[in-house]
Amino acid sequence: MEELEATGHGAYVERFDELEGHMTINMGPVHPSTHGVLRLLLELDGETVLECLPVIGYLHTGMEKECEDNNWRGAVTIVTRMDYLANFFNEQAYSLAVEELLGIDVPMRGKYIRTLLAEMNRLSSHLVWWGTQGLDMGAMSAMFYGFRERELFLDFYEMVTGLRMNHGYIIPGGVWEDLPQGWEKAVRHLTELMPKRIDEYESLLTQNPIFLERTRGVGLITQDEARGLGATGPIARATGIDWDLRRDMPYEAYGDVSFDVPIAMEGDVYARYRVRVAEMRESVKIIKQLTDNMPKGDHRNTDPKLTPPSRTEMAHSMEAVIHHFKLSTQGYTVPPGETYAYVESPRGELGAYVVSDGGTSPYRCHVRDPSFVNLQSLSPMVKGGLLADLVASIASTDPIMGGVDR
Amino acid sequence: MTITTVPAGEWAATAERLKNEGWQLKDLTGLDRLRLTPNEPRFEVVVQLLHHEHKERQMIHVTVEGDPPTVPSVMALWPTANFMERETFDMFGVHFTDHPNLTRILMPDEWEGHPLRKDYGVGKVPVEFIPQPLIQIDSPGQSPKSGVSGSLLDRLGQAVVEGDAP
Repeated sequence: MEELEATGHGAYVERFDELEGHMTINMGPVHPSTHGVLRLLLELDGETVLECLPVIGYLHTGMEKECEDNNWRGAVTIVTRMDYLANFFNEQAYSLAVEELLGIDVPMRGKYIRTLLAEMNRLSSHLVWWGTQGLDMGAMSAMFYGFRERELFLDFYEMVTGLRMNHGYIIPGGVWEDLPQGWEKAVRHLTELMPKRIDEYESLLTQNPIFLERTRGVGLITQDEARGLGATGPIARATGIDWDLRRDMPYEAYGDVSFDVPIAMEGDVYARYRVRVAEMRESVKIIKQLTDNMPKGDHRNTDPKLTPPSRTEMAHSMEAVIHHFKLSTQGYTVPPGETYAYVESPRGELGAYVVSDGGTSPYRCHVRDPSFVNLQSLSPMVKGGLLADLVASIASTDPIMGGVDR
Repeated sequence: MTITTVPAGEWAATAERLKNEGWQLKDLTGLDRLRLTPNEPRFEVVVQLLHHEHKERQMIHVTVEGDPPTVPSVMALWPTANFMERETFDMFGVHFTDHPNLTRILMPDEWEGHPLRKDYGVGKVPVEFIPQPLIQIDSPGQSPKSGVSGSLLDRLGQAVVEGDAP
């Protein structure tokens, strides 16, 4: 194993140890079931996995460095591209950090809109996971159904933000635009539809004997291992760690809604499946409550030093023109300081560590991405298992390589 | 959230005490203080800890001195630090003693420099131009004929833009 560990980003590895009968092979970085450009160095004894080392960095584009070259508002468009299935969470964590540094409040409506979109994003992200988990187990129709419903969510995002992905909609101070006319009808349509569709999904997979055979007792991780490896989100909750930031350290509008945190004790692929499906139902519950109680008022902070004025205001106020000029050329400054903001993304704790030196761009913007940390749990899950079960474990850790590599 | 500063020499003992008190490591990253005041010592390792029972967080700055900057690894206490310390090494060049596999994680193995240091500029990577066959047109109306001008090719072949490579 010494040799294997020394191999980092080197060339393709394929070795056969004649004395021990072990084989070292690459899986990925281009492989249909590694969910992106994940490369796994595997040591195999026949079909048994002895060692699994993730090799990452194939999608590294230096986003944290790029943030330092953008202004505070512009960095939102960089961080949103990190975890590309859960864009709103990236924006939310970053915005919460900047707001804390600025010392400003977000109006209630802004908070509710953010929470609403975050929960919808959790659903749409879990739908992709559900589809790919099914697909990797050979249930191709899961992929079709998952993506069919996700399309409805993407249509809603397009209606609200103008874009289907990489929205740049949640900004420090609130949200960029108020919800458009007809949003309530669109959300209610989705909340009525989704419980029925989740029942449909469950009737396809949850009791399916082939699916049970492939997932029960597979990819086991103990609670201590998960805790030690810093796993968060559904991976941790499937080992019985009862922790959810939305409930335990509430932020935004989560203090006003009631929901359950599903947990499971087994720690296998099937437990993670049950936790995520239950989370989808809880998200529908939260979305319903937020829609019913959506407050009226401003959707973002109205401080003229932070928010560009409206067109009508600029037509008769010199001061508004000056503010607009300052904001669109240089942007606002943030008082010196540092903070760490966190949200519960579909994959676990997503944190943003932001440092300001008092200038117009972040001095340092680090994102603690859950996919990056959770990927370390893959190794204990697959050691000693079969190569074919490795695919089930990868799908159940749900890594997003954009977030892993940043 | 409390923020405390710990010198690198005391980090191992502090980490062990915190671990025994039930704190969990949630994030570990670096900070280059080159353009902050005070900017000495230049590098810091920034650690985010979470306590599940108390529902509390704390941030710890570990000041790192020396060239290369060196700090003890906490991977034996919190195995989750593995990837995070490798990332900090890769991006800031901070060395973690006793880390079993301190190699680059995001950048290629043969990469020079540490991209998140403040003196490592954005877009300062040398751009390499690959020579292309030239197409010469002698006079209008004539069909273009492909030919390679020797001297020009030599020039193009060497035309590696000299950037401020770190």
